[in-house]
Amino acid sequence: MVYEFKLPDLGEGVAEGEVLKWMVNEGDMVKEDQPLVEVMTDKVNVQIPAPRTGTVSKILVKVGDMAKVGQTIVIIDDGSGAPSVPSAALPSPPQQPIPLPVQVPPGQLGQDILATPSTRKLARELGVDMASVKGSGPQGRITDEDVRKAAAPPTQAAVQVPAAPVQQPMAAPKDSREEMVPLRGMRRTIAEHMAKSNETVAQVTHVDEADLSDLVLLREAFKGSAAKRGVKLTFLPFVIKALVPALKEFPYVNSSLDEASGNIVLKKYYNIGVATDTAQGLVVPVIKDADTKDIFDLAGEIEKAAAKAREGQLTLDEVKGSTFTITNVGAIGGLFATPIVNYPEVAILGLHKIAKRPVFRGGRVEVRDMTYLSLSFDHRVFDGAYAARFTSRVVDMLQDTKKLLAEVV
Amino acid sequence: MQQADVVVVGAGPGGYVCAIRAAQLGLRTIVVESDKLGGECVNYGCIPSKSLITVSRLYDKVKEGEKFGLVAPRLTVDFAQMQKWKSEVIEKLVGGVEFLLKGNNVTIIMGEAELVTRGKVKVTVGEEVEEIETRYVVIATGTRSVQLPGLEFDGKIVIGSREALELTDAPARLLVVGGGAIGLEFASMYQKLGSDVTIVEIMDQLMPGSDPEVVRVVQRKLESRGVKVHLQSKVLSVSKTDHGATVAVETPTGGFLLEVDKVLVSVGRRPRTEKMNLGPLGVLTSKEGYIQTNNRMQTNVEGIYAIGDVRGPPLLAHKASKEGVVAAECIAGKPSAADWKVIPDAVFCDPEVASVGLTESRALQVGYNIKKSRFQFAALGRAQSTGEPEGFVKVVSKAEDGLVLGVQIVGPDASNLISEVALAIEMGATVEDIALTIHPHPTLPEAIMEASETASGRPIHQLKT
Repeated sequence: MVYEFKLPDLGEGVAEGEVLKWMVNEGDMVKEDQPLVEVMTDKVNVQIPAPRTGTVSKILVKVGDMAKVGQTIVIIDDGSGAPSVPSAALPSPPQQPIPLPVQVPPGQLGQDILATPSTRKLARELGVDMASVKGSGPQGRITDEDVRKAAAPPTQAAVQVPAAPVQQPMAAPKDSREEMVPLRGMRRTIAEHMAKSNETVAQVTHVDEADLSDLVLLREAFKGSAAKRGVKLTFLPFVIKALVPALKEFPYVNSSLDEASGNIVLKKYYNIGVATDTAQGLVVPVIKDADTKDIFDLAGEIEKAAAKAREGQLTLDEVKGSTFTITNVGAIGGLFATPIVNYPEVAILGLHKIAKRPVFRGGRVEVRDMTYLSLSFDHRVFDGAYAARFTSRVVDMLQDTKKLLAEVV
Repeated sequence: MQQADVVVVGAGPGGYVCAIRAAQLGLRTIVVESDKLGGECVNYGCIPSKSLITVSRLYDKVKEGEKFGLVAPRLTVDFAQMQKWKSEVIEKLVGGVEFLLKGNNVTIIMGEAELVTRGKVKVTVGEEVEEIETRYVVIATGTRSVQLPGLEFDGKIVIGSREALELTDAPARLLVVGGGAIGLEFASMYQKLGSDVTIVEIMDQLMPGSDPEVVRVVQRKLESRGVKVHLQSKVLSVSKTDHGATVAVETPTGGFLLEVDKVLVSVGRRPRTEKMNLGPLGVLTSKEGYIQTNNRMQTNVEGIYAIGDVRGPPLLAHKASKEGVVAAECIAGKPSAADWKVIPDAVFCDPEVASVGLTESRALQVGYNIKKSRFQFAALGRAQSTGEPEGFVKVVSKAEDGLVLGVQIVGPDASNLISEVALAIEMGATVEDIALTIHPHPTLPEAIMEASETASGRPIHQLKT
């Protein structure tokens, strides 16, 4: 019988994986549980065993290609011709039963692999396959240090990533006062992404200030109707609303540089990334087509995206395709910062703390709600004057609530 | 409709532990139990049987106490009081489970759960039906006793282990069908409480799969106490009379008829999954109906997990509990997995039997070059001074490097002795490690140290063979 083997669930939240290596060729005989294919995901490298014994009749996903969970990746012919017989007492299942999810993460022991239960747990946590670790202890016992070493050097996954700029710790610390924390999963992704941006983009930061006293009142005024719609209204939706007309007016800010073809790609859609702090690290969920949404929609979407980000439940689709990013560190404090551009975008806007400060208004000192805005941008694509004019336009929109009102709903 | 992150179906030693860990990890957790919190183990298995076994042993010891200088004329068993005490023990433990579940903010629903689809559980509480929407379901519904054709339980004469724990008197003549762990515990217990016991086992040894040397000690003790053991034998028919039954037994040397008052059938267990809709949902099961999972307790259907007896043998409460923890942690996104090397087991027959890791024959089958060593409890001061010097500790280790592969214990308190060895195996200890560890004197665990010393070639308290 021909059996279509679909990419199984590789763990919570993993939607797809890159095929690193096929351990079999078309026409090969495979035994059930024999290693079949190695797949890399955002989170782990997984070796998937053959679901049943048979002949590999067709491999459908090439090495280097992505496969989605549930997508058929290989066809195995078990030569039986008859469907598997379900237990007599049970009604037939509606479809071919899918195979059991892969036994991830590794850490399971063959009878001869020696390691204490806590070392095995460490291996699971670091995603280290104990079978591939050479133990340094008596009788080949695998120690915590062996596991940490195995976790530290670049894995096959890292080889696939071009020029990983991040230094990998090569050995366990000699000094017991140091602890080795392997760069894995999300941290590694962030590290690679930031380094790539820093290396590629000609980063400059322009800082301006804005008087948000009127906006503070406007937000208060809208709070009630937001609550009625069940959303919490922060300043962020207003900022997005102030941003969109400015992006339209200054199209190079909402663009990317296609180095290969030598073109600047101006984007006529406005997908705003919202940098979100989570326990695992920085995530940037994307508010798609922000120009078509009112502040309440935006508020609701931001709230939902932030919650999903914190629970680690964002899908790949929800973190892809942003054209411009906002990072808001105001809640934590500080004066202002110089954010790193979310490559391949060309600009990022940093929002900072709103504080009462004395300012001159009409020859008098007044106490106003003031904030700094920082725009980091790619000097390859536009210049400082353009950035300053863009920022000034955003400031103008935020300060002039009459203009902003025309945009918000 | 109620919403949950996890619905655990069944509050036995697997389910309630799973629910507690899930709640500890911040998941909104509901546990559904159709009968009693604590499940089979607390209510109808481990706990009540060990309570009654304790009484039976005490009675037996005092009855034979003259040799210790203990004279108790007219010692009798008050069955009603014994059962009452047993019920109090259960009550205390069920209360404890409830206290822990509630204290961890687990929602308890006492009702019959039905798995409708993978995200929906229907619960019938009396007349009312309520639906729960959930992200994950953990099936922890356990097993029930197998009934043999012609030997169906009638609750009076042909009984299962549940009824055997509720008797109001020791049956004068008891037939135990099935010489596995449960059958032997009951045989030992009712023999002590005064029954004339016969065991019929279809295989060629009691406790099939256990080390034959170990089983021999148990069988010898049973037979010395007057229990009749028939191996490679089976019950052909049971004709019930007013107060008992006439049973036709076939043995390798011929058949015979046996008059008994009760027939206790303990020939195995089967998964309890009727309400779980496994077929239509496409959940993979073995041909016996046990749910298949990977080592993270995930079935082949996303969002459905299974733990404990319902996943298949060995059917052990402590295994279920650990699996419950693994399932909860995996659901919470932690890299948990069932990667223990061994699962110890204990049988509370007389003398007790406990085992962990590989037996001699299994180790040879796997292809190990082994060394086996034994130490008799008779040579141990503490065993002599408890008055129960039968049995031994047997250590199976790797010949090349002394790595401990398995240990079998038959003898006093074997169930309490085995954990040391389980830890040794998990830690990858050698016989030398155990031998070099000081064990307090006079205690029973010294036997493990002595057997390990024998394996290392330097026994003190026995002569080299």
